[in-house]
Amino acid sequence: MSDLLSVHDVTKVFGGVRAVDGASLSVKEGTITALIGPNGSGKTTLFNIITGYLKADAGRVEFAGRDVTGSDPGRLYRQGLSRTFQQARIFPQLTVQENLVVAGGYGWRKLFTSRVGREDRRRADSLLEEFRLDRVSDLFASELSYGQRKLLEFAAVLMSSPRLVLLDEPTAGVNPVLIETMERHVRERNAAGITFLIVEHDMTFVMRLCDPVIVLDAGKPIFAGAPSVVQNNALVLDAYLGS
Amino acid sequence: MSVPSALRGGIFVALLVTLPMLGLQHWFLNLLVFVLMYATMSSAWNLVGGFAGYPSLGHAGFFGIGAYTLALIFKDQVLATGYEPFLLLPVVGLVGALIGWPIAVISMRTRADVFAIVTITFLFVIQTLAFNLHDFTGGSQGTALPIPPFAAAHFEVPFYYVMAALLVFTMGLTFATMRSKLGLSLVSIRADEDKARGVGVRVIGVKVLAFSVSVGITSMVGAVWAYYESFIYPQFAVDPLITIAMVLMTFLGGRGTLWGPVLGAVILESGQQLLTYQLGAVQLYLIVYALIFLVIILLLPRGILPTIQDRLRLRKRRRRADAEGAATAVWPKDAAIPSEADPANMLGGGAT
Repeated sequence: MSDLLSVHDVTKVFGGVRAVDGASLSVKEGTITALIGPNGSGKTTLFNIITGYLKADAGRVEFAGRDVTGSDPGRLYRQGLSRTFQQARIFPQLTVQENLVVAGGYGWRKLFTSRVGREDRRRADSLLEEFRLDRVSDLFASELSYGQRKLLEFAAVLMSSPRLVLLDEPTAGVNPVLIETMERHVRERNAAGITFLIVEHDMTFVMRLCDPVIVLDAGKPIFAGAPSVVQNNALVLDAYLGS
Repeated sequence: MSVPSALRGGIFVALLVTLPMLGLQHWFLNLLVFVLMYATMSSAWNLVGGFAGYPSLGHAGFFGIGAYTLALIFKDQVLATGYEPFLLLPVVGLVGALIGWPIAVISMRTRADVFAIVTITFLFVIQTLAFNLHDFTGGSQGTALPIPPFAAAHFEVPFYYVMAALLVFTMGLTFATMRSKLGLSLVSIRADEDKARGVGVRVIGVKVLAFSVSVGITSMVGAVWAYYESFIYPQFAVDPLITIAMVLMTFLGGRGTLWGPVLGAVILESGQQLLTYQLGAVQLYLIVYALIFLVIILLLPRGILPTIQDRLRLRKRRRRADAEGAATAVWPKDAAIPSEADPANMLGGGAT
């Protein structure tokens, strides 16, 4: 398997804090890779740099063999790199269905076509049905519960047929039943060819679903390997529990 | 276009066409010209301030640009029919849009309150230029446009119809925007611009396009106003109160809606004109403006139409839920009542 994403010596400093400190890692195509680490270890900052929401102070990001360092998030999205956020970010003034359509990544020529065209409707409805959101498709997204918003955000990023999806704490604040639902969707999409990079604190979820696991501490990776090995690694235990 | 939309539009156009045929008095026709003027400008402002959520306070600058553009084109000219200035309105609109394009590219790098400050600064720059570029604008002494050679008996009628046509054009444009992916993009920008950019929405292009179209229309309205007045001064052609009126009317009626700005203009402009007739030109209506602002903030933060729409929607759901025998209708019946069987609905946080 080749590397779909690779990060080389990326650094990001906020004032006197080195949030990401010369981090290098890679994500192989077809995997479900986890990025774990204690709070403040730089996971979300690294996510923001990879997806173009933050500019790195130094280092390089490559996606699908191309240098995409400093690229606009929209351009990366169109190239097949999409993400979700720790706190689900949806468009509350749009309906659930429109949230999916707007995430479809249409170009200039389609800008003047129907708000929700026949093909948009077909694709959106199919995803909404899959995520069991079809019964709320005409509601404003602001009317959804927190868990439904998480599902909606996940479903929306799939509208663009991505190659790599970055999920930022997909199970945070949701109940065990929905965690299983999320896991099932990730597995199904991964089987269909989508690669995942997941930031997550729920270790049982990570150990069940992800391989490999990359551990970040103080802004740099300290370990990468199979989940069974990570659990017993002294460096990882130190990072989480202290020496 | 759905039947109710087409019907509403048809009735509105028919009403606009027939009103001047009812033998209305001059003062009333004059009032209608100004109501239409503000309805058009508010609808145009709505494209940027309402849909995209960028509260421009510089639109009056473009109103002035339109006014002075027409004044410069027809400087020292005698009109044959009186309709020549109307025929050149697209040129005036294009000039406004072309000037608006770079202004948008620069100012729309900022957001919300900073954007408002940047755009109002532009307004004052235009006003200062209008005062100081004597050769072009006549400075504080003003500049004359050709006198419209229309008969006194129906002097207002051509202006009324041109303003009405501009309003119908702007509302048609707004309607098309709402029904297209352009409208979808604008609303997504208003909701969460960073997220919209992250899902591939052409954020900059869409914003700049909306701004340019909006100020282009405002320029055309300014040109018609200048021709109607026949003599323009910088303090009236580039007046911050014009911008405030546009914003207030849009917020009162309901931003991001088709009819909201028109409703706001009808209420406020006719109210203002009537108050001026009653109280004299001492600008006491500004106090009424302030009171209306307070009422909107306190009682109708989303404006008249969205508030009514929300209440109707809620009532409809309650009726449906009652018909189904539900105890309460807080959760919409057609939105899947939470149940243990549906994992998507078994979460903390609740519906908001």
